Amino acid sequence: MDILVCLDDTDNLESRGTGELASLLAEQIEQQGWGRSSFVTRHQLLVHPDIPYTSHNSAMCFAAVLEDGQLDHFIDYAARFLERESAPGSDPGLCVAVPTMLADTEALIAFGRSAKQEVLAKKAAYALAKTLGVHLSEHGGSGQGVVGALAGTGLRLGGNDGRLRGKLEVGSAGEKVAVRALIAHPLIDEVRCANGASPGDDDLVILEDRKVKTVLLDGKSVLLLAPADGGVDGTLWRTFSRRELKNF
Amino acid sequence: MAEGRNRTSLRLGLEDWSAAALFADNCATFIPDVEEEQIADDPRSCYNCRYRRWQADSVVCLAG
Repeated sequence: MDILVCLDDTDNLESRGTGELASLLAEQIEQQGWGRSSFVTRHQLLVHPDIPYTSHNSAMCFAAVLEDGQLDHFIDYAARFLERESAPGSDPGLCVAVPTMLADTEALIAFGRSAKQEVLAKKAAYALAKTLGVHLSEHGGSGQGVVGALAGTGLRLGGNDGRLRGKLEVGSAGEKVAVRALIAHPLIDEVRCANGASPGDDDLVILEDRKVKTVLLDGKSVLLLAPADGGVDGTLWRTFSRRELKNF
Repeated sequence: MAEGRNRTSLRLGLEDWSAAALFADNCATFIPDVEEEQIADDPRSCYNCRYRRWQADSVVCLAG
């Protein structure tokens, strides 16, 4: 069974980030033998005076495949995990969705998109979760994190929002690496040019850093490239800088 | 545009990259935020600091 898991508002200024908790929870799925988990994505939500957030208002989501009969075990574990690991003063929310069982996929995606544009109420999040058949629960404080948890799930489901947590080591800064070598990395699904051009497998990519960061596009972990100076016939590319990935 | 030089009242625009790096370089309370929340290429930048708070049109410093 494929599931999406999203956490929001588990941290404070001094604590571990929500992304680390999401990664730990994803690891537990494998360690407990409940199934397999995938990468964690970060989804930026609206920053607004009426929204209580620590410093950036982002939700963290991952996908997993659970063995039959493990969904309730996992949800119970995740709830206790958040109650135990969330930082004092935080307002943690947990969302677990089974995409194939959603009553209305587009409604969940739309909720995620709305959370990037407008202030959404906890009551609305619970109402939508109930309608869709999605697990949504709060685990401390005001529980306001349920809004971001549901929204992050929708954005991950939409497949075109956010950056992957962590960076991937692919070489040395300044090194030229063939596209085919980048695609061979297990956490890079696709290498894509932001200008719409398609890089050839033998094209070379100048690494801005020894580690690269991917974004979620079309549901895939995509490494974005830009044309680099000095190439012949558009066969030389460079990776995006962190700053260039800001809006993903 | 950056406003103020006192870190407790520091307010930066959303694209003040040079100022953010300069202030952070001279800030005793700079602590890098977790990797997924860093967006500046300068490792030491207010935009990468744990104590910055993003707002709709600015970034403010919460350290103090």
